[in-house]
Amino acid sequence: MLPGIQSLGPCEWEVPLGYVPGMRVPGVFYLSPRLAGTLEEGAVRQLANVATMPGIVKRSLAMPDIHWGYGFPIGGVAAFAFEGGVISPGGVGFDINCGVRLLSTPLEEKDITNRRELAERLYREIPTGVGGKSSLRLSGKDLDSVLVEGASWAVRQGFGRAEDTEFCEERGCMEGADPAAVSEKARARGIPQSGTLGSGNHFLEVQVVREIYDEAAASTFGLVPGQVCIMIHCGSRGLGHQVCTDHLRVLEAATKRYGISLPDRQLACAPLDSPEGRAYFGAMAASANYAWANRQVIMHRTRKVMEELYRVPQKEMRLVYDVAHNVAKIEEHLVDGKRLRLCVHRKGATRAFGPGSPGIPASYSRVGQPVIIPGSMGTPSFVLHGTQTAMEKTFGSTCHGAGRVMSRTQAKRRITGREIRESLGKAGIVVRAPNDASLADEAPDVYKPSAEVVRVVHEVGLSRLVARLEPLAVIKG
Amino acid sequence: MSFEELEHTADARFRIRAASLGELYSEAARALMDVMYGRPGEDGQEREIEVDAHDPESLVFAFLSEVLFISEVEGFVVSRADVTVSDTKAKGILHGEPFSPERHGGGRGVKGISFSDLSLRREDDSYILDVIFDV
Repeated sequence: MLPGIQSLGPCEWEVPLGYVPGMRVPGVFYLSPRLAGTLEEGAVRQLANVATMPGIVKRSLAMPDIHWGYGFPIGGVAAFAFEGGVISPGGVGFDINCGVRLLSTPLEEKDITNRRELAERLYREIPTGVGGKSSLRLSGKDLDSVLVEGASWAVRQGFGRAEDTEFCEERGCMEGADPAAVSEKARARGIPQSGTLGSGNHFLEVQVVREIYDEAAASTFGLVPGQVCIMIHCGSRGLGHQVCTDHLRVLEAATKRYGISLPDRQLACAPLDSPEGRAYFGAMAASANYAWANRQVIMHRTRKVMEELYRVPQKEMRLVYDVAHNVAKIEEHLVDGKRLRLCVHRKGATRAFGPGSPGIPASYSRVGQPVIIPGSMGTPSFVLHGTQTAMEKTFGSTCHGAGRVMSRTQAKRRITGREIRESLGKAGIVVRAPNDASLADEAPDVYKPSAEVVRVVHEVGLSRLVARLEPLAVIKG
Repeated sequence: MSFEELEHTADARFRIRAASLGELYSEAARALMDVMYGRPGEDGQEREIEVDAHDPESLVFAFLSEVLFISEVEGFVVSRADVTVSDTKAKGILHGEPFSPERHGGGRGVKGISFSDLSLRREDDSYILDVIFDV
């Protein structure tokens, strides 16, 4: 382990007060000895920097997929007092409500005999990659509805089924969205990109449920071994990116005015009840809603392809759940015996509410919220469920994915996109992407092993394993 | 003048050197295009650009954020920038060409310009900018 960090128990580490000047609370992160070698000093410093922000409650946290980001580390979680606390775009990230949803089907692996054709059809129906344009023709008024209503806007337009929204975090619509706080520039980026997958680590994968770890929970979520599922990973596209940029500029200038001194300008923040803080919250919630509508449209198109190719009625393809992993939300948590209203920032971290928590579908209430952890290209993805331990230790949060260990420059030197395509092909995984170059920086081994990351959260109890899914076909942006 | 990509686990981190601030801005815009499209564009078309901010770092943040916006929304691949830079304002022309999937499909989307580890300094006769693009 890096110097200056203390062990709190198996896989639990403390960054003590004083690690960087001005820390108000300690930092805590979760990492196994096997993953400790991947920890960057820069990521720990970022975790400690977050602990200097006004109104932070209890501790600055990071999940086992912690890595060096900007502002907060990736995998970072921090809660701020609703009164006296701050909100920061650096604790959410540029891709507001980047998230994952899982769609189940009644098909089995053996039914998917034409993986290449399936991948090609999905690739044609869902715009992907840099410059991928939407086939939706949204007017400014339509966009306002998207920003306020989220996934239910999409359902109202015929993209999907009414019951889908029940199975989204926040029911696919965050309260407090303020379209007026979304700039013309953000709108100009958002309109042509609605319903598109994007690029980078975003993907759509056809997967098979390879192993069940918890039969009762799996059955509650409607998952059985050998079943074909589809995972969709994307966010708020250029609209959310521009909202972050716009408000970062405003908050960067405002931070000083509120007498807040920060070790990193990307942590620019303002009090939650200030005009700047409220405007960012309203724009962020609007962007989150755009992302939910986006994933809803993409899921509907996926269902249509599956219906056409395999004659599966759409109603038999059920949305298991949709989670956000880059967002700040107002939640109530029990802190030292007191129920507090907090603004919980999760940047590359997933909400993992335990059994009986408010805000999860009634049919899942006994098990806890489903947590969906996407693998990197070619590696397994996991479904877990939220726990009481997460409620007590991490404001109901867990990891979001694998976490990178290798830079783009290193990745490109080591392996070409074509080699990746060929090696996945040998394992029976079909990849469809705009070009091979976009595959190189997302090679499976540039990430931490996803199995080890979820093993840590499972063992610490921040969420518990339910099922492992493996890819059959990957659509990359 | 030059740009070089430095190691960064998650994102694209660049060090840019130039003899003048105007050249530095131009090279930074080319570095951004290199990530987004696998290569900067060729001269041919022009777009006006004007941004202001309260200090030199926030000005370069505002400039690159505006280049990203113009490029993404207008499908414009920048070849170079011809801008006049003061302490609080950058103004001038972006040169470049329209996006074509065949020629410019080799990159990945940039979500935004980061303030983290953004540094602009002068050493001897050159300006040096360190900047991270979130990808």
